[in-house]
Amino acid sequence: MRNSRRGRLVLTILLLAAFTLITVDYRSGTLNGVRNVAEDVFGPIEDLVSDVTHPIGSWFSSVGHLGSYKHENQDLKNQIAALQSQLHLSALERSELAQEQKILHLASVAQFRVVAAQVTAIGGGFGTDQTATLNRGSANGIRVNQTVINADGLVGRTITVGRNTSTILLGDDPTFAVGARLSAQQPELGNVQGGGPNKAMTLTLYNTTTKLSVGEDLVTAGDPLYHDQPFVPEVPIGQITSVVPAHLGLSQTALVKPFVDFSAIDIVAIVVNAPKTVKHDSLLPHAPTPAPTVTVTVTTTPGAPGQSSPPPGTTSSTPPASRSSSTSSSP
Amino acid sequence: MTIRRIAYRLVIVFAAAILQVVVINQIPLPGGHPDLLVLVVVAIALASGPERGAMFGFFAGFVADVLPPAGHIAGRLAFAYTLVGYLAGLLDDPEETSVFTTILVVAAGSATVVLVYSGIGALLGDVRITAHSTIHSLIPTVVYDVVLAPFVVPLVSAVARRLEPAGSR
Repeated sequence: MRNSRRGRLVLTILLLAAFTLITVDYRSGTLNGVRNVAEDVFGPIEDLVSDVTHPIGSWFSSVGHLGSYKHENQDLKNQIAALQSQLHLSALERSELAQEQKILHLASVAQFRVVAAQVTAIGGGFGTDQTATLNRGSANGIRVNQTVINADGLVGRTITVGRNTSTILLGDDPTFAVGARLSAQQPELGNVQGGGPNKAMTLTLYNTTTKLSVGEDLVTAGDPLYHDQPFVPEVPIGQITSVVPAHLGLSQTALVKPFVDFSAIDIVAIVVNAPKTVKHDSLLPHAPTPAPTVTVTVTTTPGAPGQSSPPPGTTSSTPPASRSSSTSSSP
Repeated sequence: MTIRRIAYRLVIVFAAAILQVVVINQIPLPGGHPDLLVLVVVAIALASGPERGAMFGFFAGFVADVLPPAGHIAGRLAFAYTLVGYLAGLLDDPEETSVFTTILVVAAGSATVVLVYSGIGALLGDVRITAHSTIHSLIPTVVYDVVLAPFVVPLVSAVARRLEPAGSR
């Protein structure tokens, strides 16, 4: 019976079917409907599984990222000392809360209205797809092509949105592109593309007269450079690590080290609403903004938790996971 | 019996595909990650032959093609796993397959999946696929799969053989 004619027939039919799927999806993206259904059906299951397995994964992750955790721990001690006295929180919950607070701080400086979410699943196609699934969806006001940030900067954009979960394209994916702006001193516009896992991003600048220098910071331009990818302005992208010498070309390029560690993303926020303009360079890690101004901005943010009046489902600080919901109202 | 057999396959595909994206891909392993689905496809194919191996491979691949957060042209993994399911099924064995054979089939199978998936991607002009990226995902995937093979494949195969109707092959 092995290698029978029937077996070969079945193989041929299935390979043709797979080929048809590829053709249909490639030419028209018709399978987006299937992806949306899969997002609706499997997103919540992944969220459930992730709730159970997250502590295991974060243990592995903490072994892999011990250095950053030490740093985080220090921040944490300073930031939530008050909460610690009132609440009993596990180390994991504290780390998540600290991440969320930092994002909310960033969002409040920029006056972004954000929905916080947790990464439940990562990757696809052997890690060649730099994508992630989040536990928030259209029911929380999320739509396709919205900017996703964390406390360090630009994480990616949403590509598929289900009712309660959504899938994002990460910034290190080679298909990811974003309009970028150099620091305020020379506001040149360029294009930053992902370079693949653990690789530098690439900046392309179409003005060959501008001098690029190592150490310069890049933020999202926010301009409608790409009409289908409207990123919000001023989100930190990364820092130039090396400039490729321009010769003969119409453009010059540079390698950019992203601020976000894409291999360790956990709590993120989707920007559901943003002001048209944001103060230049106000979100960079070493922002020139004097500290007192920041404090004032924070306290007067209209989208601050607890006092917002948006329609249900679009609250400005939806807690990322049910387990921390009781602790993440205003600090 | 047939219903139990189908139910087992559904459960095993969804479990492997979801564990892959929720747990495996989040563990920071050097180089890459094991591919749970190729282990499962090889296990089922070794237990039930080329025809069912191909069908199971197609189903597993399609699930992996659309399960969030997949972000590539759908059908690529379905094509690759169908091929691997069929080829591994040609070596099927009504009794226990030896561990050595299992490891060889898994190594060949996971290499085939990476190469076919990347090859189709290259044909479609997927910018993620370069010779560099292919080799960099090929070697770790094969190594991790071979490491997991002796634990996962015999277990999945053994259950599949018990549920297989006698004399159906």
